[in-house]
Amino acid sequence: MNSFNLVSYLSSNIDIDENQIKVLVENCKSKTVVKGNYLLQEGEKCKHTFFVEQGLLRQYSIDSKGKEHILQFASEGWFVSDRESVYFNQAANYYIQALETSKVLFLDEQFILELSKTSSKFVEFNNRLLHNHIRNLQKRINLLLSATAEERYLDFISVYPDVLMRVPQSMVASYLGIAPESLSRVRKDMAKKHFTSSS
Amino acid sequence: MSVKQVELIASPKEPHFVGDGFRVHNFIPSGFRLDMQRMTPFIMLDYASKHYFEPSPQPKGVGVHPHRGFETVTIAYKGKVAHHDSGGGGGVISEGDVQWMTAASGVLHKEYHEENFSKTGGDFQMVQLWVNLPSKDKMSTPKYQALRNASINRYTLENNGGEIEVIAGKYNNIIGAASTFTPIHLYNAKLKSGAIASFSFPAHYNTALLVIEGSITVNNKEKVPTDHFVLMGNDGEDFNIQAIENAIVLILSGEPINEPIAAHGPFVMNTRQELMEAFDDFNKGKFGYLED
Repeated sequence: MNSFNLVSYLSSNIDIDENQIKVLVENCKSKTVVKGNYLLQEGEKCKHTFFVEQGLLRQYSIDSKGKEHILQFASEGWFVSDRESVYFNQAANYYIQALETSKVLFLDEQFILELSKTSSKFVEFNNRLLHNHIRNLQKRINLLLSATAEERYLDFISVYPDVLMRVPQSMVASYLGIAPESLSRVRKDMAKKHFTSSS
Repeated sequence: MSVKQVELIASPKEPHFVGDGFRVHNFIPSGFRLDMQRMTPFIMLDYASKHYFEPSPQPKGVGVHPHRGFETVTIAYKGKVAHHDSGGGGGVISEGDVQWMTAASGVLHKEYHEENFSKTGGDFQMVQLWVNLPSKDKMSTPKYQALRNASINRYTLENNGGEIEVIAGKYNNIIGAASTFTPIHLYNAKLKSGAIASFSFPAHYNTALLVIEGSITVNNKEKVPTDHFVLMGNDGEDFNIQAIENAIVLILSGEPINEPIAAHGPFVMNTRQELMEAFDDFNKGKFGYLED
């Protein structure tokens, strides 16, 4: 899959010297996380926001019956974190796991502070990212409360165009809050509508 | 006529698994000089070198996945693969067979070790090659060419030296079994120890060899052992190979498709926009539906 570079992403969105960001990014840890390994487990203290340069992560919780619930996928260019743990000093409620061997940047609070000091444009941009994140969370809550399985699936594929083919169906169903059989039915119905067999 | 020289001999990289059934060494696209633009129209080559699979009640393989914009060519040397697709097609590729699948506008398919092969276990050795399609044919109707070994025409070498199976294109007067969208020559050269075979392709055709069994010398100079890949230069037309011991060599040569390539995962298109459409069409079921 194509990789995503944080330095060029930030410098193309805010008016700041690329070298200044480079120095700050180079101070952050960068790691290759092998498929299946964890960046965070429930009960730990989360110290970073993770930025995916290459690969795919998932953030999920496990309920009292042992069932997994996927809150978010994070592919190339996505940020993922347990904010309650990072910013409110609580033990983590979530697991963050690599679904593919991934190249991940570990961004700490210091990185955000330094960048904010360096550039007021970054503060604006970071606010914009936060608002966008909250907007998407609001939309997701509303879909979980009110939408049909098909509506949730259509939203999923618009947010994550390439994730369907990178993860097992059961994980997509878990993200959508529906049974795997319901996801199969939705996808079969859509294929019936859209597919003209050539054979 | 000038000699086509060896440009590069690549040794097999560490194998990785595609699904749980295909243990492959990737040769194309892999970095320096073996990228898609250099090798066009051959845009991917995974080589499953000979590997023994233990008996398994559950067939190993790759689950449902899509393709669009190119052709997949599976050449079986050992073992058997069963495949199914969203158009209702399916079949078994056995030793010596070639399956030429034109994914074009899009198919969903899955490939597993054939059930009986899986149960008994055995040696497995195959090549999967992706052949790019020119822009005008990328959205054409998908199709299969299932080429049974017996239907592949052969050129018999002199002095009982072996034979050249012509999968596509032409070798001397022998015409290949597969039809192709752009000019391509694809052969399995099965040479007896000491035998020599000569080849001639236009200089600008991208040309490569993969030694499946045994070992060879190219142009009486470079020695190439088993499982090694040879990139031939674009400097000339003619070259020959000689078997140091009984050898099987896959020979590929094709006219370059000089168009932009936008590739992501299982889609190979010309533009980023077309790639986004491919993802959207796949997500919305336009490739059909296939149970895992």
